[in-house]
Amino acid sequence: MGPEFGRLAYVRHIITYTLSPFEQRPFAKYFSVGLPNLWRRFRGQVFRVAPLFLAGYAVYSWAIEEEQRLKRKNPADYVNDE
Amino acid sequence: HPLIKLINQTLIDLPTPSNISACWNFGSLLGLTLLIQILTGVFLMMHFSSGDTMAFSSVAYTSREVWFGWLIRGLHMNGASLFFMFIFLHIGRGLYYASYLHESTWNVGVIMLLLLMATAFMGYVLPWGQMSFWGATVITNLLSATPYVGSTVVPWIWGGPSVDNATLMRFTALHFILPFALLASLVTHLIFLHERGSFNPLGVNSNTDKIPFHPYYTLKDTLGAALAASALLTLALYLPTLLSDPENFTQANSMITPTHIKPEWYFLFAYAILRSTPNKLGGVLAMFSSILILLLMPFLHTTKQQPMSTRPMSQLLFWALVLDFFVLTWIGGQPVNSTYILMGQTASVLYFAIILILMPTIGLLENKMTSFIYTISPR
Repeated sequence: MGPEFGRLAYVRHIITYTLSPFEQRPFAKYFSVGLPNLWRRFRGQVFRVAPLFLAGYAVYSWAIEEEQRLKRKNPADYVNDE
Repeated sequence: HPLIKLINQTLIDLPTPSNISACWNFGSLLGLTLLIQILTGVFLMMHFSSGDTMAFSSVAYTSREVWFGWLIRGLHMNGASLFFMFIFLHIGRGLYYASYLHESTWNVGVIMLLLLMATAFMGYVLPWGQMSFWGATVITNLLSATPYVGSTVVPWIWGGPSVDNATLMRFTALHFILPFALLASLVTHLIFLHERGSFNPLGVNSNTDKIPFHPYYTLKDTLGAALAASALLTLALYLPTLLSDPENFTQANSMITPTHIKPEWYFLFAYAILRSTPNKLGGVLAMFSSILILLLMPFLHTTKQQPMSTRPMSQLLFWALVLDFFVLTWIGGQPVNSTYILMGQTASVLYFAIILILMPTIGLLENKMTSFIYTISPR
């Protein structure tokens, strides 16, 4: 079902070198390179995602306050009632 | 051996792109959640009585008296929420990375979404609480808007003049059988997927850089499953009623209508679209269209680049669509007041506008803006 290993692609003149996993440290530079890379990836996306959600939150909190305001009477309207 | 060969081709030696991200975990998580739902559901069915006089108390009995019945019920209820969360994330991945270009896989996926929604809707009726009864009444009544046959079809579905014992019993049977139809669709979905192989976040042909599914993705999917299981257990053990409606702790009463009838959270976006349309038939059509529009996605793809990874303007629209989905979900759960009516209508129009008009237009604009031609690689 579908292409199997050996029938995926015909590639010529590509030589790959790999290190045995037993010769590597699996978590090498996990923090020293990983954390700056995480920050780089965050910065690349945050200005496409965050502004919309901040605007959405502003609309959400306005709507809730507006709904609360519409459910209440204005005390100033009844200030001179006897 | 043919069975071992099948398992080997699907889960062990399956060539998989080396760079698929966490967004690709949701497929396996959905399969796992389906399994959990079937297992917990079968155990719940052992103690459930589907008559209208017995259903509510049988569910209470299961929760209180059956050994770990409270846990099985908690897992089943919250498993349904998790199922929908995963499927929304899975569809979101599909929209972002244009997985809908695998048309056969995508179309079967939409059928699976419809089956899931039908299963969940009917499952919610079974405990026969107030929200079960009234939610079923509201949603099945919508079908009466169908021209000519509407008023005949609805009592036929109900099995009587209103939602009653007959409705509950047939929903029980259908709720039991549909997950197996979902399972069959899942197999079809995987067959179509494995014909071409998974896509990848970069949008390039990955045939030159594939790794075997085992051990890399068996391990990655196990990690995903462990995190999902933690989420499910946190909900089931600490917050079992966080996502449910307190009205459902009251037995169904056709003489008392709850103040705020609303479905479970995963249907609220469609409910908001339904309520935003003043016309009854229009609302029903808009509600169904909001799901069926997914079938149009392959035809609305105008850009030459497949994923949104390299298309920032489309990314903005994608996140606007996600935000709109959240707004619709929130509005669907709110009472119908002037503020929320306008917001719901705006969000509904925006939902269709983004998918039908803005995304295709931005796609065409992005084609003109890019300086190279990128063609979608045939497999």
